[in-house]
Amino acid sequence: MATQPATAQAKVDYGYPDGPTSELDYLHAEKGLRSWLLTLDHKRIGLMYLFGILGSLIVGGAFALLVRTELWAPGKTIVSQDTYNQFFTLHGAVMVFLVIIPGIPAALGNIILPIQLGAPDVAFPRLNLSSFYLWSAGALLLVGAIPFGGLDTGWTLYTPYSLETKTPVLIAVSGVFLLGFSSIFTGLNMLVTIHKFRPQGMGWFQLPLNVWAIYATAIMQVLATPVLGITVLLLAVERFAHIGIFDPTLGGDPVLFQHFFWFYSHPAVYIMIIPAMGVISEMISTFSRKPVFGYRFVAYSSVSLALLSFLVWGHHMFVSGQSRLANMVFSALTFTVGIPSAIKVFNWVSTLYKGDIRLKTPMLYTLSFLLLFTIGGLTGLFLGILAVDVHLHDTYFVVAHFHYVMMGSTLVAFLGALHYWWPKFTGRMYSESVGRACAIGVFFGFNLTFLPQFVMGARGMPRRYWDYDPQYQIYHQLSTIGAFVLGVAILITVISLVSSFWTGKKAFRNPWGASSLEWQAPSPPPTFNFEKPPVLHELYNYDDLVEIGEDRWERQAPTEVDPASGSSTVTPGDAHQ
Amino acid sequence: MSDQLHPPHDDRGAEHGHGDDHGHGHASPFIQHHYDDAKHQFDAGKLGIWLFLAQEVLFFSALFVAYILYRYHHPEIYSYAHKYLDVKFGAINTAVLIFSSLTAAWAVRCAQLNQRRGLILCLAATIVCACTFLGIKYVEYSHKVHEHILFGRYFDPCVSSGGRELLTKGNNCAGTKSTVVWDAGSQAATYGCYTDIDQDPRKPGVQASCQVTEYAVSEAKGAEGKPAAKPTETLKAAITERCVEEPLPGEEPEPVTGHEAGHKQAGEAAPHAQKFPCWRPAFQPAVCKKGVGILVEYGDHAEREDIRIKAECKAAPKAPDPGDLLADRQQQLALGKPAIQPRHELTVHEAHELEAAGAPPEHTNMFFTIYFAMTGLHGIHVLFGIGVFTWLLIRAIKGQFTPDYFGPVDFAALYWHIVDLIWIFLFPLLYLIH
Repeated sequence: MATQPATAQAKVDYGYPDGPTSELDYLHAEKGLRSWLLTLDHKRIGLMYLFGILGSLIVGGAFALLVRTELWAPGKTIVSQDTYNQFFTLHGAVMVFLVIIPGIPAALGNIILPIQLGAPDVAFPRLNLSSFYLWSAGALLLVGAIPFGGLDTGWTLYTPYSLETKTPVLIAVSGVFLLGFSSIFTGLNMLVTIHKFRPQGMGWFQLPLNVWAIYATAIMQVLATPVLGITVLLLAVERFAHIGIFDPTLGGDPVLFQHFFWFYSHPAVYIMIIPAMGVISEMISTFSRKPVFGYRFVAYSSVSLALLSFLVWGHHMFVSGQSRLANMVFSALTFTVGIPSAIKVFNWVSTLYKGDIRLKTPMLYTLSFLLLFTIGGLTGLFLGILAVDVHLHDTYFVVAHFHYVMMGSTLVAFLGALHYWWPKFTGRMYSESVGRACAIGVFFGFNLTFLPQFVMGARGMPRRYWDYDPQYQIYHQLSTIGAFVLGVAILITVISLVSSFWTGKKAFRNPWGASSLEWQAPSPPPTFNFEKPPVLHELYNYDDLVEIGEDRWERQAPTEVDPASGSSTVTPGDAHQ
Repeated sequence: MSDQLHPPHDDRGAEHGHGDDHGHGHASPFIQHHYDDAKHQFDAGKLGIWLFLAQEVLFFSALFVAYILYRYHHPEIYSYAHKYLDVKFGAINTAVLIFSSLTAAWAVRCAQLNQRRGLILCLAATIVCACTFLGIKYVEYSHKVHEHILFGRYFDPCVSSGGRELLTKGNNCAGTKSTVVWDAGSQAATYGCYTDIDQDPRKPGVQASCQVTEYAVSEAKGAEGKPAAKPTETLKAAITERCVEEPLPGEEPEPVTGHEAGHKQAGEAAPHAQKFPCWRPAFQPAVCKKGVGILVEYGDHAEREDIRIKAECKAAPKAPDPGDLLADRQQQLALGKPAIQPRHELTVHEAHELEAAGAPPEHTNMFFTIYFAMTGLHGIHVLFGIGVFTWLLIRAIKGQFTPDYFGPVDFAALYWHIVDLIWIFLFPLLYLIH
């Protein structure tokens, strides 16, 4: 850890007004492709993840638009049934495995979490880099299935169809296997980092809520993902060696696959949503200038969601021939998930109450999140009711519900968080006007896409169908228009963000007046994040943060508590707790 | 949420302020510079490896769940199939692995005490044990591959008997039935299965037209596990009666309407009472891969010890199907002498057939699916462990481990213990059940 006095080195000035003074920032610390490909710096690894994820987002989004275009009219619009099956499969697989699962934990978590802890790096930097390469290899295999004939099983890969289809399931599931281990190792790294790299004085209840959320996520990544690993491994072996474990003709049980799959994939839904809740807590506090209402409840609800997520997988299988008892138990447990989710929503809304709300781009996304997550969460309760689920199962109602949660909540939170931390890890401000316009575009485009799907789903439109009855056409057309609005807004967002790398205004250390430790680091931070040990202040205390310029905040009278100790500084990574 | 800042612990203050010379201030050059000190790195590694082991447990858990599930639904498969496994091999392997866990733990102690020679010896011993384990596993696996005692559709013990004399005691069928199977691939009247017929022979067009010209049955029982010394009673006759066909699974009997009823009565004889013994072509995918054989039904409940059957098979009556090997071919089915004294060493399957009454339960293959999945995945972990311990051995020979820095040895030993532990569960679950 570089803790030498600033005088030991000449000041390096390369233009960032608030950049590191004594050493190069992480973007410029080393040069050349090799220094990126072999980097052990968590921020560089996170940035590479981020670009991979944004690329995957565009690929997955393109498939979504193709699906929506095909559904503009009944019958064939642009592609045949088989191609359509591949489109929705690849849309689902790419979005789930490549975008929203790693989106916040692996990309933003990697970049931000160690800095939030005041730590120089994650616990295992080499493992971190390996995770990234596992992700890359997995992504290549998953996308590589396209030239080998695509994939038409649905992202759920249900047996027995996935055993019979002629499409290259083997390539795709090899990719999923690698992506799973990437996720496991990322979670492992985060858990150890949070346990072993908190500074002195940062107890469990002085952790930013984003850290709590990533902690809860990491528990699920480590404990649930191996089950996906073994499941797709068995599926792969089943396909080339016909071992029979999921093949009913040999005595195997195809429903067992569903159980295994959802034992992972239900927690996976929370792997997607809980980090989103974490970043929302950060942003809502910063842009309301208020501590998060009920901090401990929000923190505990993240962990309880993580634990409950392991107990509700059967609600995906109410019509798969489970016993009635199992259905009832899973239905009842499903409702308990509503409790921690509602605690969070109520606490966020209470945080807004009497807050000094600034409608910056991240805050617009945050408010979108609150609305969309509420709709997504409440419609989930409809689906948890056994009798209603029989009617709604495999209809567009389900599609709309999980898009409100996965996309309306997770992706919206991801975009918000991307804007929120963008100045920190790039050192550049994005265009606020484009950002706001796109945030509004995403909100309206999203609702236009998925609200009609609730209606047509409730009226009986089945999901994954290529053709439909003309009575549903108006809903499909509204949905398709919304999808294009959404697609354009996201595309402009990505272009605007990436171009701000070169054109954006230089960012100051603390552009939002946020209170957590990462805003004390230079923007962009040096390789080991802090030039001098950050000062630990009361969490979410905004009283002495003053705006001293446009997008520039500073702490005027630092609240240094515990003066008796004679020290208010902490050395990063200074504690084994 | 007030912040509680504490001064750094006194005992750790000395570790700070070493400035830019990352690592060089530490006792070991292998302390990475983002850690405070050796203890910090060791603690982080220890937590990391425990989380990895938790992940490993979950990774194997799905297979254990599958085991429990299939055992709960098909206990007969498990009680039947475990006898194919050799407890002797399993027991030796258990002992070998437990011993290797001891040497792995010992290696950690040697590293802590800076006993380089002991460390090298212990690591080498662990590797040797792991290789021994895999060697024994190889013997077991190759045996099973040879006998076609495999998973899924490769579970096909009959195939291995092709061309050899087969003990036909209650051959593959419980109670009052016997199946004789033979191999059409060799175009000789041997024992085995028809191959390459993947349709039910009871369907028209695929059906073999056979006639059992002679059969002999001994009803004697020998001593435990051994065939009778001599047949006590032998029936010898041709069976001309063909058993009444049962409807195919899932096929409804045709409703007899007025017109068709008249046609049927004119066309074929009305169903009559079954006479025994009778024969029918049999379809036994659980026993023979895509297998076709002849099933003889006796109609009584006596246990048959040995049978021998001669049968003639003619071409299928309908137009030849491209996939039908029986088309335009006459085949002799002769099952040779009663195999009272086996002329060859018994295969595991044959020995088992002799010992256990009756056929393998349906889907016995599922036991071997579970067996190979579990032991195979465990074997891959052993293989990975050999790699890790070899890497440790090289580092130990270079003298890189010190009492300050022995984390990798400790973590690898923990990994090795869980590999050992999983085997300790697998051994009774697969080898010792009854």
